[in-house]
Amino acid sequence: MFLTLPSILEKWPCQWSSGASGRRASPSFNAGEAVTALELLQRERECGSITTFSSQLDHALKGGLPVGKVTEICGAPGVGKTHLCLQLSVDIQIPRSFGGLEAQVIFMDTEGSFVLQRVVDIAAAVVRHFSLLAVDGEQKDTMQTFNMESILSNIFLVRCHDYVELQAELLLLPDFLRDKPRVRLLVIDSVAFPFRQHLDDLSQRTRLLQGLAQQVISMATRHNIAVVITNQMTTRLQDSQSHLVPALGEIWGHASTTRIILQWEGSQQVAAIVKSPCCIDTAIQYQITSEGFRDANQPEITLTNRR
Amino acid sequence: MVGLQEGMCPGLDGGLLRSLLAADVKTVEDLVSSDLEEVAQKCSVSYKALYAIRRVLLAQHTAFPVSGADLYDELLSSTAIISTGNPSLDKLLDSGLYTGEVTELSGGPGSGKSQVCFGVAVHVSHQLKQRVIYIDTTGGLTASRLLEMLQSETSDRDEQMEALQRIHVFRLFDAYSLRDRLSTLRSGGLLQASGGGSVKAVIVDSVSAVISPLLGGKQNEGMSLMIQAALALKTMAKDFGVAVLVTNHVTRGGRGEVQPGLGASWSHIPRSRILLERTDRAPSGCSSTLRSATLIKSSRQPCLIKEELDLQWWSRSERRSSGKRKRDEADS
Repeated sequence: MFLTLPSILEKWPCQWSSGASGRRASPSFNAGEAVTALELLQRERECGSITTFSSQLDHALKGGLPVGKVTEICGAPGVGKTHLCLQLSVDIQIPRSFGGLEAQVIFMDTEGSFVLQRVVDIAAAVVRHFSLLAVDGEQKDTMQTFNMESILSNIFLVRCHDYVELQAELLLLPDFLRDKPRVRLLVIDSVAFPFRQHLDDLSQRTRLLQGLAQQVISMATRHNIAVVITNQMTTRLQDSQSHLVPALGEIWGHASTTRIILQWEGSQQVAAIVKSPCCIDTAIQYQITSEGFRDANQPEITLTNRR
Repeated sequence: MVGLQEGMCPGLDGGLLRSLLAADVKTVEDLVSSDLEEVAQKCSVSYKALYAIRRVLLAQHTAFPVSGADLYDELLSSTAIISTGNPSLDKLLDSGLYTGEVTELSGGPGSGKSQVCFGVAVHVSHQLKQRVIYIDTTGGLTASRLLEMLQSETSDRDEQMEALQRIHVFRLFDAYSLRDRLSTLRSGGLLQASGGGSVKAVIVDSVSAVISPLLGGKQNEGMSLMIQAALALKTMAKDFGVAVLVTNHVTRGGRGEVQPGLGASWSHIPRSRILLERTDRAPSGCSSTLRSATLIKSSRQPCLIKEELDLQWWSRSERRSSGKRKRDEADS
């Protein structure tokens, strides 16, 4: 397509972008069209959700992590953010005959925290769990193919070293998603690490992050994938008291649809839902075992006053 | 400056528009101020047709003085106050959202802006049986939550589905598509988008999510986009008599005080602004559905009045609508 300069000047940038992305967009979603809330409801029901293997967290999230939405997981080092991401990367592959999504995952690792050995452990536990559950013939058949090798081959790992690489990768992602239509989960672990270094201008960082947020949100909606972003914590001084709050500033907090904060409370690990359009704010206990992310042993739900 | 568009007035069809654009006549201003004879020659159209178009355009785009008395009559006949469904919010807004005005909700993450938007959408579509246009820029609209709110309003499944069908959702994720969508809605698309029914509320959740990434830095494109979107919202509110509800994020000022985002230019756009915050003192046990709402700009009420707001209000279990339902039955 050749155009002269005046006709280019007459076009708005969005016409370009819609022209360029129109071919890529998946047929299920057309950006400019109005849908009624009823159609949206049906779409949401078709999408399903990803189980976390913690029944309490699943219950609090009304069935698991929503597909087509952006979820942010915040927490201090070592509290289990990456672990939950790894667990989700395996869980999304649960075969359809067991009520799973049987999909693939892209894992964007910025911290170098993707430890293959842990994935193997988690995957082994999941395979064991479902081979015990398999009763009818169909389920036994799927267990033939649902094994360690298939699980590992359905995880695509991207290692990004700084924020430029992360942004470049996100720009290329729509093409990747077109080639691999079975991808239903995008994990960015973590967004805080690349953006907390090499960026001196804070207002520029905020703008970059907001742009990234919009990009990720539109990808989640257009391609109907679940996006999980992890974030670090930082301290804020308020009334001469220090609070642990999610990093990257307050405006970044608007990026995610659901926000989960993982934290230690005494010797207990607690996951708190602090922002969600559909669930009330709750806190549940969990633990990290050698098999992965699980409920805490004592199933009492503690409601804590967090703020 | 209004760009020339096809179908703006009778006689201005696609062919003429293209030849006008080729003759470098792009806006209404260009056409009105140009030498018509010259343009007629250039575009090889009749002078008469162009003259007629110019007269229509002048009539459409000229401001005429209106007397206060007429304005008051119009106000009485055309303004409606749309209840948000929540008594404390209604109290802050002097009984609800006014049609023809832009109302803004601002607040930090998890302060309940989207919940209020959902509540208003459900209330308008279910109780008032009016159509709602919901522009979602953050992907936060969750239809299952809307359904949940409706389920606490009525147990009739058909009614729930009807109410959901009256909510029309646009999901736009950048400022250009927001601006374009708003201008098509303004120039008549509002009626088309809703399938012919009357729209009483337009909700944009959130304006800041798409606009603030473009603000700041050395470009001022973001500023111009913001003002164009704002203008579209304001004229749409006036021309179609709809209530516009927008959400905004918050920033912290120099002394750590919370203020709505998007800067000073935007602050003139909404007629009423409400700041939502989490309440600090929360009784243990049920920590977090209470929010404090502060009125920070209003032309009717004294500013800085505070109200406590329960986000659970829209999905509370005990029903007061049994009386209301009886009244509905009596009406029908």
